[in-house]
Amino acid sequence: MFLTRSEYDRGVNTFSPEGRLFQVEYAIEAIKLGSTAIGIRTPEGVVMAVEKRITSPLMEPATVEKIVEVDKHIGCATSGLMADARTLIDRARVECQTHWFVYNEKMSVESCAQAVSSLAIQFGDSADGGSAMSRPFGVAILFAGIDSGDPQLWHMDPSGTYIQYDAKAIGSGSEGAQQNLQESYTPNMTIQEAVNLSLRTLKEVMEEKLNSTNVEVMVMTPDRLFQMYTKDEMQKIIEDLQ
Amino acid sequence: MKIDIATEGPSNGFNFDNCARNAMLQKNGFVCPTAVKTGTTIVGIVFNDGVILGADTRATEGPIVASKNCEKIHYLAKNMYCCGAGTAADTEMTTSMISSQLELHRLNTGRVVPVETANTLLKQMLFRYQGYIGAALILGGVDSTGPHVYTIHPHGSTQISPYTTMGSGSLAAMSVFEARWKEGMSEEDGKKLVRDAIAAGIFNDLGSGSNVDLCVIRKNYTTEYLRGYEYANLKGVRELSYDFPKGTTAVLKTNVKRFEITETIRPIDSGSVPMETA
Amino acid sequence: MLSIEDFPEYQIPGAKQVRFNPYESNGGSVVAIAGDDYAIIAADTRLSSGYSIHTRHQDKSFKLSEKTVLASTGCWCDTLSLASLIKARMQMYEHLHNKKMSTTAVAQMLSILMYNRRFFPYYVSNVLAGIDENGEGVVYSYDPIGHCERKKYSAGGTAGPLLQPVLDSQVGLKNQVGVERSPIPMERAKAIIRDTLISAAERDIYTGDGVIFNIITKDGIKQERIDLRKD
Repeated sequence: MFLTRSEYDRGVNTFSPEGRLFQVEYAIEAIKLGSTAIGIRTPEGVVMAVEKRITSPLMEPATVEKIVEVDKHIGCATSGLMADARTLIDRARVECQTHWFVYNEKMSVESCAQAVSSLAIQFGDSADGGSAMSRPFGVAILFAGIDSGDPQLWHMDPSGTYIQYDAKAIGSGSEGAQQNLQESYTPNMTIQEAVNLSLRTLKEVMEEKLNSTNVEVMVMTPDRLFQMYTKDEMQKIIEDLQ
Repeated sequence: MKIDIATEGPSNGFNFDNCARNAMLQKNGFVCPTAVKTGTTIVGIVFNDGVILGADTRATEGPIVASKNCEKIHYLAKNMYCCGAGTAADTEMTTSMISSQLELHRLNTGRVVPVETANTLLKQMLFRYQGYIGAALILGGVDSTGPHVYTIHPHGSTQISPYTTMGSGSLAAMSVFEARWKEGMSEEDGKKLVRDAIAAGIFNDLGSGSNVDLCVIRKNYTTEYLRGYEYANLKGVRELSYDFPKGTTAVLKTNVKRFEITETIRPIDSGSVPMETA
Repeated sequence: MLSIEDFPEYQIPGAKQVRFNPYESNGGSVVAIAGDDYAIIAADTRLSSGYSIHTRHQDKSFKLSEKTVLASTGCWCDTLSLASLIKARMQMYEHLHNKKMSTTAVAQMLSILMYNRRFFPYYVSNVLAGIDENGEGVVYSYDPIGHCERKKYSAGGTAGPLLQPVLDSQVGLKNQVGVERSPIPMERAKAIIRDTLISAAERDIYTGDGVIFNIITKDGIKQERIDLRKD
């Protein structure tokens, strides 16, 4: 793609003659610098697993939050610029609460993704205060949620495009991980199988060795909703994986 | 000991003792109880052989129907009746007071009291109270000079006319009269016209309702008070029974007290003198 | 807030203040009863103002969806405005979320819409009836500024204060011992609504002319009519 790079990659409000928005494409590239995150949907629930890059032994691993709760029934895994991610997550949380406040019901996962998407595409240099950012957000988000008892997984990229997936990987190892998921995913897998698949996939694409501090796992089921794995649970599951 | 309240009868006229107190209570936020108003349709016409008065039978207290079958055509004298609209108590008391004055007048003069006399008494009384007696009246009757219908407003102004309406349904009723009243109508046509005028009020004015009362006073001094001339509205029939079986109300507490009843017979003293009856 | 009335010595003798009064009461009564798998909501058909009748045939119910019906009384122009706002918002919801709004969602949204106008309220007495997500009949009642309560039965409008105690007794079976508290069958609910509105027409001058029933079941909404006295 860099072959066609031209003067048109300077502004977010200018299409190239081929009809491309280079800044958005670059933002999508930025995701590939982020840590790997994986989401798998099964009939029993949704699993999300992410790699946490602990770049210094002096870093406190618990403060690197890659999987967050948006509402009781919606969780998000992010990859890319963490600061940008926070802005989008905040919006997702506000939208979920507003929906509950106005309609007294849980927001659907798709509606939540759509609400975040509409913020994600508010970039540009409009003078009337209509834009939220001067550039595209450098984040991809996986939304895991339960929609009327039905587990769902959605993915949104910096262009604001959101698509439903059975299994999706984002971040630096996403290409290999996605390949692995495509080979191993089965529509009727159990939640435990999905956890194992996600960790095995992460293990393959991660540079570091898998341990209980450099991965986070979240499981969402219709009964228990958003559940992060504790350090002990992680420990046990990694041991079982060997 | 003498009890003032019980022994003294009501003094003449209205008593204004509590006016200042009530004004003070009201200023401090006390909500006064409301008087029953007869948001009403009343009418009167002159026909060939006399007059016909008509009225509906609804009394209201704000938006609530206080009475579904009240009487609004009041007796004044044998040759005169009077329809009342406005504050129920005012129309009733005013007409009965004037009625007694008319009877005294008849006894003093020994002749049929002219309708104009009743009109004068009523308007003088209402004018004296400057509209505070909320009575809007239609006076109808016959005397030696023929049939007359008077309209009397709460402030005391009156007018004489061959057909008139008053009350909240007056516009509805008047529209019927303006369209159909003619001079020299027969009694049958007159009754039908009055009935239709009242019905117009009953159906189109929310302050009026229920039944039609009529009163015919003929030149030959015969009167016919047709109470419940037409039941324009039948009461809705309910489908279910609303009787509660015995024992539906919970007994919270029982307390039985036994009374010892002893009976003794004491003969009246036989030595007393019987009352003189001769 | 202080007004000129608080300073009588500064008032000009004989001066009269005339204020714009944006509200009017157009009368009418609503009764709703919900059963296990149905809801019935009925309103009289008289529209009035002061002592005059505007029409004897006004349907005061609004079919919001196949499962939800709203009936409103009070200031009729506010009712119309509110009903069309709800319909617009429901259409927007459907487009945004790709699904029909449930009765509970409509109920909550209505409360929010009313509270949005906390200091210039819709002068409307609302009763919402329908079938919820679990197929159960529900009734929601409101005050003009958005208080919302989920119930099994409710009465509103000008004869609301007259009718609510009757429903408490006949549907709620309040303060009664030794009575069977079984789910209320549809025919009995219909008869109670009919009887209460017939009684309301006897004593409330703003209620009369006719009744339109909306019977909501999982198979849809059916309308039925009866006559009331017309005086």
